[in-house]
Amino acid sequence: MGLVQYIGRRLVTYVLVLFIGISITFFLPRFMPNDPIEGYIAQMQSQAGQTLSPEAVDQLRESLSDLYGLKGSLFSQYVGYLERVFLRFDFGPSFGAFPRPVSDLIFIALPWTIGLLVTTTLVSWTLGNLIGIVAGYFHNKRAATALEVFGILLYPIPYYILALTLILLLAYTWPIFPLSTTIRPGTLSFNQLGMILYNSALPALTLVLAGFGWNILSMKSLAFATKEEPYVTFARLKGTTDWTRMTSYVFRNAMLPQITALVLSLGTIFNGALLTEMLFSYPGLGLLMRTAVGTADYNLLYGTITMSIIAVATAGLVLDLVYPLFDPRIRYR
Amino acid sequence: MAKGFRSTRGLLVILFLLSVVACATPPVTEQVQAPVVSTPEAQAPEESTPEAQAPEESTPEAQASAPVAQQGTMTDVGTPRNQTVIFQTLDRKTATPDNHNPLMAAYALWRGFRELGWGYLWEMDTATGKSYPELAADMPEVLNDQHTQFRVKLRPGVYWSDGVEFTADDVIYTLDTYFAGKGKLTYFGVNTITNYVKSYKKVDNYTFEVETVSPAYDFATVMGVYTWGSAFNIVPKHIFEKEADLAAFLNTKPVTLGPYVVKEYDTNGFWQLWERREDWQRAAWGADNEPKPKYVLYKDLGPEETRVLAFVQNQYDVDTFMSPDSIKAAIAKNDAITTFSAKLPYHEMSDACGYGVLMNQHKAPLDKKEVRWALALSLNLQDVGINALSGEFKASPLPMVDTRILRPIYFEPLLPWLKEFKLDDGYQPFNANFATDLTNRLTEMGIDPAQLPQGDEAISNAFGLGWWKHDPAQAEKLLGSVGMKKGADGFYTLPDGTPWELELVLPGDWNKVMQRMGFSIADSWRAAGIKVNARQVDNAEFGNVQNTNASLTTVLNWTNCIYNPNYRNAWRSIQAENLKDANATEPISGNPYRWNNPEVFELVNASVQMDQSSEEFYETGRSIIKAFVTDMAYLNIMNIPTTVPTNSTYWTNWPKEDNFYALPYPWWSSAKKVVQNIEPTGR
Repeated sequence: MGLVQYIGRRLVTYVLVLFIGISITFFLPRFMPNDPIEGYIAQMQSQAGQTLSPEAVDQLRESLSDLYGLKGSLFSQYVGYLERVFLRFDFGPSFGAFPRPVSDLIFIALPWTIGLLVTTTLVSWTLGNLIGIVAGYFHNKRAATALEVFGILLYPIPYYILALTLILLLAYTWPIFPLSTTIRPGTLSFNQLGMILYNSALPALTLVLAGFGWNILSMKSLAFATKEEPYVTFARLKGTTDWTRMTSYVFRNAMLPQITALVLSLGTIFNGALLTEMLFSYPGLGLLMRTAVGTADYNLLYGTITMSIIAVATAGLVLDLVYPLFDPRIRYR
Repeated sequence: MAKGFRSTRGLLVILFLLSVVACATPPVTEQVQAPVVSTPEAQAPEESTPEAQAPEESTPEAQASAPVAQQGTMTDVGTPRNQTVIFQTLDRKTATPDNHNPLMAAYALWRGFRELGWGYLWEMDTATGKSYPELAADMPEVLNDQHTQFRVKLRPGVYWSDGVEFTADDVIYTLDTYFAGKGKLTYFGVNTITNYVKSYKKVDNYTFEVETVSPAYDFATVMGVYTWGSAFNIVPKHIFEKEADLAAFLNTKPVTLGPYVVKEYDTNGFWQLWERREDWQRAAWGADNEPKPKYVLYKDLGPEETRVLAFVQNQYDVDTFMSPDSIKAAIAKNDAITTFSAKLPYHEMSDACGYGVLMNQHKAPLDKKEVRWALALSLNLQDVGINALSGEFKASPLPMVDTRILRPIYFEPLLPWLKEFKLDDGYQPFNANFATDLTNRLTEMGIDPAQLPQGDEAISNAFGLGWWKHDPAQAEKLLGSVGMKKGADGFYTLPDGTPWELELVLPGDWNKVMQRMGFSIADSWRAAGIKVNARQVDNAEFGNVQNTNASLTTVLNWTNCIYNPNYRNAWRSIQAENLKDANATEPISGNPYRWNNPEVFELVNASVQMDQSSEEFYETGRSIIKAFVTDMAYLNIMNIPTTVPTNSTYWTNWPKEDNFYALPYPWWSSAKKVVQNIEPTGR
């Protein structure tokens, strides 16, 4: 199979995955027992002291159904949805923030999610793998065992507990960081950047610590196994140093599955980090999705989930296309 | 291999750079400037008052010294802490922080607009339940015997925050806009007002007249304020008339009638800062008593776990709906934190709505009042209140909240009737000693007697006038009378012998108090032999269950929102035409009780023609209440335990039981009284 055919097949698979994913995304919320209009009306009835008369309720129901685009058959709504998403990448207005377009809400939350999660994913991946390679390669050394124990201890702690512990220590007992996020509006400046970093530091630290335990353990196992490969033994017999064997022979080969994990992790960052966002009042896609589910905001759900589907599918595609660059043993046939 | 590794490094570098760029990318931001006051009188103080410039001048330092903010000098948003009162937001985060258009449903309404920004024709005094004029000069003048024509005089000398005078033109323009925008403007009030008002006209700059569709004894509360909000949000004509599409208009720099203007808000929706107008004396309210804080910050301090820590650190002044456990933890660490009362149930219980169980009377076996009564008598409310709320609740057996406003009109006159009330078999279900029994149980549990109310009156005021007996044996008798017996497993069966499984829908973690109560109610019913499936749902499904016969069996909800003696808002929809088939999938538009009682329909219809402050109106209400109880049409449980702990480190004179000048709620008209009456401590 030639390169063009290979890329062509991967692209067709990619489009198919998107189509199926986006179709499922359309139908799933519709099968939920939620109703965005009834949810809103019930809220208004309590907020307004039930000053809504039955006639007013009927009229409100009718106009909201019309404005939200919930009239017509499910099939006609589905066709309209595919047309909007595939041709114009338009998810329509958010019901909860009507008439604001869903894309607006996503693009406000997105930089925060990308900024926090890309950074923490890369840091925890890099740190975890560096510690893991040392722990795996020098597995007989006490220091290596200590590093491994560190990873084993950290990995199973539930994120919620870990985050609360850090909050207690670093924002309450020693108030180095803020308890909740406060970013003031303003143009980009050193002050502004400093404020963002200061407010993001603790959430980021919790995510790094929660993430890198797994990287330590997996890289340690991979390094330990790779170290026993014949080509590493051969290199040792040739008289290469430990440093050379660890970095050039073991690490580079052990890293391949880790790259797969990294790319897929980066693909899933579009799900946001709900617990982090809730605990730290930090903006991002997680809270947006949670709100959309809670209020049956179909369009917002479509927008956020579709972004996530595209990201994961794209990560898979990129991985398929670039993997031969990392591993020369892989060819297009 | 080497080439692959280089590619990896390249990829890593690109990803890292991307992340740095993303991190450094500023959020979509917008800073709202205090609106420029155009009149010379108003400009003068703005130019000359040094305090007015202070926040802007201090901003860079405040930004740089954010960690210091916790030490009590400056807030995180750059205002002096001792000039800023900070409220925890009711909804935590808003999805629409930049939408300040009160004609749309999705505007950021929980960010203080209703309290500090808008002005209403008539407001509600939360201490007395009486309406009082705010933008209006007086109460509405009734022009005809049918009570359908009204003349309203406006108070001259009220100005919008940009210096333009507020006149009848703004009122007429808003009414015009409501009628023209029906179907496009999503604020519920548009539908309420356009169904309520028949015609209107301007008489002069400070006078207008309105004719209503039906007799309107509630004119001041529909056109003004009844419970939380108002259906009639008056907008500035000179601003809104310039907009071609009001549904898309965000009004991000709102011109206000209240004594505060939006100074700054978080584009991510976690906080909003208000600043007192320089010309606050010319605002819709406040001239008689200066609003004390120069700044009011609505801010989300996080989930309860972190809010408690922030509260202890004096980072904010008032919380809302904090759980009793968290409040206790905070009080243990900081003496400045207090509840509404030093004695149980500790909290003010005067929210207009109450908690209760809505039962679908269309569905067997709930269509039989014996079954509904059996549910009431199977419920051990003392256990529920102690387990779910640590005893911090006030029971109400009637379908309304037992408050200082409603008790003398409805509860006390009905107490003798309740004591004598008998079910069809002669059983007397009312337990007038409920509050005393509860107090005794709490004493036995080791609660400090100093924290318990003493004396019959205090106990009754604290825990209610009484509730239904917990009598599973009588419940079994009632169920047996309709053919429902206990099976071998100890649970009841339906008359045909199949197991009876009762679904109880309750809120998920979006309302933790109700969630806890719901599970506790289910436990209580199970202990009495009723197999209950307690199902938690999200709020959008909750509304669906509440309004759709096919989805509803029972639901723990809050309803019957009655704040002053006018019960019509809650009960006027109890009409035959609002009933639907038992399994209808289309939602109902009224009569949420699914109650088919022709006598009540007549009473409700008759009440529309009555003066709502007349004894005749009250007596009609009592008759409706008696019918509610007799049919057990709705299992009312308790007032909403509204927890509003305050921190007196920076501000004192909060509304408390021994200092009651308004409800303590920071989200209602009471907030106006609060900001006018609190005092800085000088720290």
